[in-house]
Amino acid sequence: MPVVQRVIKPRTKRSKRALEKREPQLVENTKQCLFFHGLKTSEGIRECVKDLHALKSQASLKLQQKNKILPFDDILPVERLAVKHDSSLFCMATHSKKRPNNIVIGRMFDHHLLDMVELGVENYAPLSEFKNAKVAAGTKPCMVFCGTEFEDVTEFKILKNLLIDFFRGVEAKEIRLQGFEHALQFTVFDGKVFLKSYRILLKKSGTRIPRVELEEIGPSMTLQMRRNRFASNDLRKRSLQQPKQQKANKVKNVRKDPFGTRLGRVHMTKQDIGKLQTRKMKGLKEVTHQKFRVA
Amino acid sequence: MRKRGGRGKSVSKKKEEEEGERREREIKIPKSRLKPHDRKLLNTPAARHWPPYPAGPPLEAHQPNEDTQTSATDKVRDILLKAREEVKSVQVEVKEIQLECDLGNLVVSDNNTLPQSTLRNSDECNEYLQSLARDGIQTLITKVWDLPTERIDNAVYVTLPKPSISIPREKKAPVEKPLTKWEQYAKDKGITKRKKEKKVWDEVLKQWVPRYGFRKVQADKEKNWVRVVPETADPYEDQYAKAAEIKKENIAKNEFQRLRNIARNRKVKLPSVGVTGNEFARPKDLLRAAQHAKHATASLGKFQPGLKGEKSSKGRGNKRKSEEVATMDIQQEKKRNIDIFDKIGKPDLNLDAAMYRQVKDDNVEHDRKKKGGKKHLRRSKMGGRHLTPSDHRSIKLGKGIHNGPKGKSGKGRDAGPGNKGKGKDRASLLQLASKRGATGKIIMTAKKRKKFSKR
Repeated sequence: MPVVQRVIKPRTKRSKRALEKREPQLVENTKQCLFFHGLKTSEGIRECVKDLHALKSQASLKLQQKNKILPFDDILPVERLAVKHDSSLFCMATHSKKRPNNIVIGRMFDHHLLDMVELGVENYAPLSEFKNAKVAAGTKPCMVFCGTEFEDVTEFKILKNLLIDFFRGVEAKEIRLQGFEHALQFTVFDGKVFLKSYRILLKKSGTRIPRVELEEIGPSMTLQMRRNRFASNDLRKRSLQQPKQQKANKVKNVRKDPFGTRLGRVHMTKQDIGKLQTRKMKGLKEVTHQKFRVA
Repeated sequence: MRKRGGRGKSVSKKKEEEEGERREREIKIPKSRLKPHDRKLLNTPAARHWPPYPAGPPLEAHQPNEDTQTSATDKVRDILLKAREEVKSVQVEVKEIQLECDLGNLVVSDNNTLPQSTLRNSDECNEYLQSLARDGIQTLITKVWDLPTERIDNAVYVTLPKPSISIPREKKAPVEKPLTKWEQYAKDKGITKRKKEKKVWDEVLKQWVPRYGFRKVQADKEKNWVRVVPETADPYEDQYAKAAEIKKENIAKNEFQRLRNIARNRKVKLPSVGVTGNEFARPKDLLRAAQHAKHATASLGKFQPGLKGEKSSKGRGNKRKSEEVATMDIQQEKKRNIDIFDKIGKPDLNLDAAMYRQVKDDNVEHDRKKKGGKKHLRRSKMGGRHLTPSDHRSIKLGKGIHNGPKGKSGKGRDAGPGNKGKGKDRASLLQLASKRGATGKIIMTAKKRKKFSKR
């Protein structure tokens, strides 16, 4: 449904559909992620980005070229890229002497920056190092956050929110019971965040609930939080606002019997019973005087 | 055999081949975990099993032997053993702080303090983290399995509840489309839309013809392969061209109305004067259009010949307010006169204009000095004005102001007699510029401002 009233109408139905998809929706599309490099990268960080892209392969796009972008100095080029590719998550990889193996993870709201965090990647173990069967791409991961800092310290709280946003994938209402395959673990300790990725194996147990066994598959890294730029309180508030149409409408005056019958309640205006419009029976009509012939 | 309360699940009869191996584990059970009467059994072979069995000979898995007859009690014993072990496997170690699960997002939060020594030790670290993760995921799975399920296409789907951790949206909430003029009218009158069928039965062609879209024109052509010229029309008139013209006008009218709707919704003021088409212009509009056309001449319509019945429109400009001098009180009149006096001597100081002029002068100076000798400043040989590079630069308004107090530095400029500012001092100009900030005309980014402040 085109909500934006365009002066210049799109020429083809296809372009129209593409534009409609990019408009604000009631129920939003999956957040697309954009991976790109800065001017200088190291092999390690390139591997890291490659693996992360593989993790989010359904909803991510990886750019090949190097970009002269410094997000903490000027975020506009990043915003422009995000608008162009209609992605609200981004991950930029750089490497310098001062900030080795650096990734900047961020998210947008309304095509403008919401939050962004600079993380240093240490002790990186790529996907290829773990020689076992991996998980299908696009699986929704279960996430475990360990450590008290994720609740106590504001920065880690926001980081937790950002990581959930980044990795959660599709907003699923229903999941197949066999679909619990991937698990991500974030542990905060000593100011560092350990990222580990596992494959969930559901073993038979005597009960109907399966036993969970984990097998480490994916990239494993230690993230050191460097700089950050978080949103102001009211921008965050605005970003969390849900559209009014999504609010559940209260159904009034309808209730269910203990027998399961659905009962409604009707409110009527005051009625004058003497003046109600009913079926007219001629014979019951009140006659003022009777005319009859005397035989 | 004493039944352990609390485990709850009934023991189902399973085939002995199902869970072949018996799990043998050496579990270190802390004393505090055991119930008092069980502590006595710590050193007994029975202590190897958890939950602990009552005092007595330990239960061992009965190995099915073809020779010996397996009795019913032995079978039951085996099953119970297996059941106990399997039940144990779904249990998660009880934590200090319970794990919070957000089932909507499939997120488990473990807020327990982590043992520092274990995590510092690189050998134990991974194992410990894996065990933590396992506990977390097990809790999550346990909760998920309790959710309502439904079966779709041979797969069991579980319906997740709404997420408790709120994630910000990608874009703003969609704005409701404002109603067009017709839609508003229809709503007020209570006119409802009726969906029309795409195909219409055509008697002439005896087939279903699309009312719009693909193949409609073909069908129309088939139907109207000949066009009857009306009697009143000129025989040399091209009826097809006329029809095409009418159609074009209809499309244009539709487009105009669509744009008008958009303009109304965006509260953009459209000129109501332009003549858009004779089909739907009202007499009032046409009159206005004619008046405007007449006025739009060099002599403002004074010498335009008029038609026979045409009324001349006089009062079109701004009306002058009659001076209410008689009704004004002394104070107001005094103020009015003083204001007039003040305005006489002093021109309004337009700082921006002053700055631009200064900048432009500087640029022109620079150009002159650079190219050596007198040069035509503005007028070109071809006649008329043409913008020199300095003009362009001053339009851009980048160079003049932003070159610091010493003037434009660089290629041979410092060698010259000196570029001292003519009127206003450059430093004060800079100050003004920085005070002004982003008026939209002076390009001052944060970076450039930083540069100045250093100087």
